[in-house]
Amino acid sequence: MKEQLIDVLNLEEMTPDDIDTDAPLFGDGLGLDSIDALEIIVLLEKKYGIKLANAAEGKAIFTSVRSIADYVSKNRKK
Amino acid sequence: MYILSHNIVSPIGMTTEDNLQAVLHDSTALCRYEGKWGLPDPFTASLFSDEQMERMMRQGLSRFESLVVESVERSLQNVKFDFSADDVIFILSTTKANVDQQTGNNEQELSLYPGVSAQRIARYIGFTTQPVVVCNACISGLAALRLAACLLNTSQYRYAVVCGADVQSAFIVSGFQSLKALSDDPCRPFDIERIGLNLGEAAATMVLTSDMDVTQPTERCWQISRVAVRNDAYHLSSPSKTADGAFLALNDVLEGFDTENLAFINMHGTATMFNDQMEAVALRRAGLTGIPANGLKGYYGHTMGAAGILETILSMAAADEGIVLGTRGFEELGVSAHLNLSPQHRTTSQSAFVKMISGFGGGNAALLAVRNPLIITGNAPSTNFTISHSVSITPDSVTIDGKPLSLSENLSGSFLTALYKQFVNDYPKFYKMDLLAKLGFIASDLLLQEEGGERFTPRTDRAVILFNRTASISADREYQKTIADSDNFFPSPSLFIYTLPNIVTGEIAIRNRYQGETEFYVLPDHCPETINRIVAATLATSSHKSVLFGWLDAVSESDFQANLFLADKTE
Repeated sequence: MKEQLIDVLNLEEMTPDDIDTDAPLFGDGLGLDSIDALEIIVLLEKKYGIKLANAAEGKAIFTSVRSIADYVSKNRKK
Repeated sequence: MYILSHNIVSPIGMTTEDNLQAVLHDSTALCRYEGKWGLPDPFTASLFSDEQMERMMRQGLSRFESLVVESVERSLQNVKFDFSADDVIFILSTTKANVDQQTGNNEQELSLYPGVSAQRIARYIGFTTQPVVVCNACISGLAALRLAACLLNTSQYRYAVVCGADVQSAFIVSGFQSLKALSDDPCRPFDIERIGLNLGEAAATMVLTSDMDVTQPTERCWQISRVAVRNDAYHLSSPSKTADGAFLALNDVLEGFDTENLAFINMHGTATMFNDQMEAVALRRAGLTGIPANGLKGYYGHTMGAAGILETILSMAAADEGIVLGTRGFEELGVSAHLNLSPQHRTTSQSAFVKMISGFGGGNAALLAVRNPLIITGNAPSTNFTISHSVSITPDSVTIDGKPLSLSENLSGSFLTALYKQFVNDYPKFYKMDLLAKLGFIASDLLLQEEGGERFTPRTDRAVILFNRTASISADREYQKTIADSDNFFPSPSLFIYTLPNIVTGEIAIRNRYQGETEFYVLPDHCPETINRIVAATLATSSHKSVLFGWLDAVSESDFQANLFLADKTE
């Protein structure tokens, strides 16, 4: 999941080791913003067949890498 | 400047009067489309029917170009000057022009360049001067009127014909869908239940002059008194939570004006959560919440490049009838300030109004229109500027103030990324940018490093004005690839944002905390004389003391050019 996030969000200078699995992704953590959240929504649909209706739904899921991974493992369709 | 003539062509009418009557009778062309253009998800939009479009088509011109010609020709029917003369400028406001023809592979297709398209339209109609295209995302319409004011008020032209237009396509609709910005149902501006916008197609044209000899004021003589553009310097796609840019723009146009004379404020009112809330904050900060406000997206959807001009014309026509148009779709207030909104049409005895608009790239604009103004004649303002620093970047060279920059010997990969690593290297968002934004970011940063002094101090007195020929062609191609295959259809929101060329001005504003005017113009060809004239006129007609400006064009990693300048106003 970390590698995928680095790829789709163009986190060019980061490696998976730089990302704390439980740290917040937005705001003070990884510093992602609303456009990044939308890009993660595309990633979930493209890679795992998970379709989120809106960004607000993503807000609760995208708190950390672990929370995304947990959600994906429970809801993936491919 | 004064309005001589105007026209609106939309799915609900072919003249301003038709449109006003349709809106007064609560008409809209907003309806739900399923499977349109092969899009997997349904959407609600206000689109021309095939029959309407067929009637407008001109031989040799595209859908978009035919729509522009329809509106411009109608607006010129009753004017009495020779519009082929060299004192007439044609200004085209559009966000995406012919992007419906983008296939991802047609790299050499010149009609994809908005300036070339504008040139073709100009020749068809009979204009002889070089047109200018305003590509400033959703504020393009007011930005185009701002450019007209700059050029007319400094007497560079006698007349301006300003048309705003956009047609919808899979490219645009899928992009807004990827941003989760669309409502499946008719939009509800400022309402507590609002969930997003609807897109729309239209063209709207104003014929303007600053020459009072030909205006002959009548009872319905309208003046566009002031237009202002300001950047939030906050985010590329989310408006400032404190409405900084919109507030500054409102202050610019209302300074010294008695707001008791305002009939209403016509809001952008897209019906997205963030836009409408931001506008409410702007009105509260400006002390304008008591004045009647309205929004017109419930009738037309968001007509993008046409919106600023269409909504100004319709507001003017309504004010002439003593009417404040209702906000279709609005029922219960859903923003934090107590705005004076109503779904019903109301009456007014006032004869001035403000139009507001905001868009991606952090742009905000406001316009003050006054009927039967006190006409004051005087000398045209003039100004000049002194260039302090310049930067030039091509795929294999960089010069600063005419001297070649010493580059690291082990440059590898992308040239721009190598420049970033060698000379900047403190802004990871660089990697998220498209080619045009990377080029503008590097060029502006080198320029500002050369300027020295304290960086990143907020300032409101520096404008950013960029020009090019190919708009966002590189980003357009990249985005198109994400929607080209119906079996692998995953439109990218981050790529779509960069299909608006003015985004680079937003990147520069955010990086440097500039809340001055930000503009992006597309020309048929690189013309330094036109660039200098527009920059001088912008400085002459605003409070800006300084400007970062120049040419910024990026077709591919092996074909780009930046020639940027830093200049100070000289009286």
